[in-house]
Amino acid sequence: MTLTLHHVPDFASTIVRFALEELELPHTLAIVDIDAGSLASAEYRKVNPVGLIPALETDDGPMFETAAILLWLVDRTGRLGPGPTDPDRGPFLSWLFFTSNALHQAALAMFYPHRPAGEANSAATQAAAQVQIVARLGLIEAMLASQAPRWLSVDHPGVLGYYIGVLVRWLSLLPPAPHGIDLADFPHLKAVLAAHEARPAAQRVAETDGLGPTPFTNPGT
Amino acid sequence: MYTLHYAPDNASLIIRLVLDGAGIPYRTTLVDRKARQQDSAAYRALNPTGLIPVLETPQGPISETGAILLWLADTHNLGPGPSEADRPVFLKWLFFLSNTAHADLRQIFYPHQYAPADAHRAHLEIMSTRMLRHFSLLETAALQHSKLFAAGKPLGVYTIVLTRWSALYPVHGPRWLDLRDFPTLTALARAQEARVETRVIARAEGLGPNPFTRPEQPNPPEGSVL
Repeated sequence: MTLTLHHVPDFASTIVRFALEELELPHTLAIVDIDAGSLASAEYRKVNPVGLIPALETDDGPMFETAAILLWLVDRTGRLGPGPTDPDRGPFLSWLFFTSNALHQAALAMFYPHRPAGEANSAATQAAAQVQIVARLGLIEAMLASQAPRWLSVDHPGVLGYYIGVLVRWLSLLPPAPHGIDLADFPHLKAVLAAHEARPAAQRVAETDGLGPTPFTNPGT
Repeated sequence: MYTLHYAPDNASLIIRLVLDGAGIPYRTTLVDRKARQQDSAAYRALNPTGLIPVLETPQGPISETGAILLWLADTHNLGPGPSEADRPVFLKWLFFLSNTAHADLRQIFYPHQYAPADAHRAHLEIMSTRMLRHFSLLETAALQHSKLFAAGKPLGVYTIVLTRWSALYPVHGPRWLDLRDFPTLTALARAQEARVETRVIARAEGLGPNPFTRPEQPNPPEGSVL
């Protein structure tokens, strides 16, 4: 399997890198210079017509969408998440889609608050996003506390742990005061993310992408 | 047998069209939105987000439209399997529909969740422009991958139901989508409408005679849209 990841350190492609390293899948990094407008180039749009990071080129053609790439890797390798015939597949998919279309989307509104309603309404957009982010992390925390799923756990690395880990990293670092999150409010999630970031594969990515030794639970260090 | 928790013209419609299109037996349970049944303890036990739909399966409840579609596709061979060459195409557009097109359309339906009242006009202008861009991408993808975006199939159904809602909701909002600008999606609307399950479900949910080519406000025999 030949894989090329179009990558910008600490962008969503970093989520895919964590999975690729954990799976020990050889891959080439194509570092994208976003300041040079590469994402808008005709060449990149052939790989990803939406023009966003990440994109992963595979033997079966180019892929985009973070969660789609993660799921494709799970299904191709049979690791880092329940496969199609696993009885856990349904809830795993429900929470993967929720992370992608609810948590990740709300995080984007926080980081790019001019997008939904213009510059003039950025403050209101961030306030609304803050409420959604805390509520959605709360749903994940409650699910962990009541169900303790294998696919988002301390004992088993999984794509969802790395996905939520990177989102939590950004939500701890980027929002302007008084917004943002304190991971101590979500203790079950914090334990899962601490276990993920301590893994050798995660440490390799943290090192090369410059994310610090505790990229999820204490990203400021 | 599966149980689909549904409300008329809600996202459960997407699942229903795919289930019936594939001849998969299921029963429906109405979620009474007028009584805010989606916020009841019983419903939240099935889906803590309170969103519709939920599909109850022998392996437990599944929520999220995209998750249900993917689970059904893998369980009943309604799309390319994990080792097939067009799996990447299937997955990337399914997630794009879920986290970009559907998520942005939700913002247009429920602007008060995203922006203050005096910003709703600016919000609609920006979001509808974004949606038209999404439909352009879907138009191209549907043309390139006509088998995956066929009527009755997960990607085809998901796409065409989003065009229906764009024409109808919010009820008193300005209209911004003209499906004729998207010939492949127009053909998809016609093809989906010609399928027998569309007629049956349109009657059950009060969607009118042309739910995709000429959408009109629904008049459901049971339950309520909002």
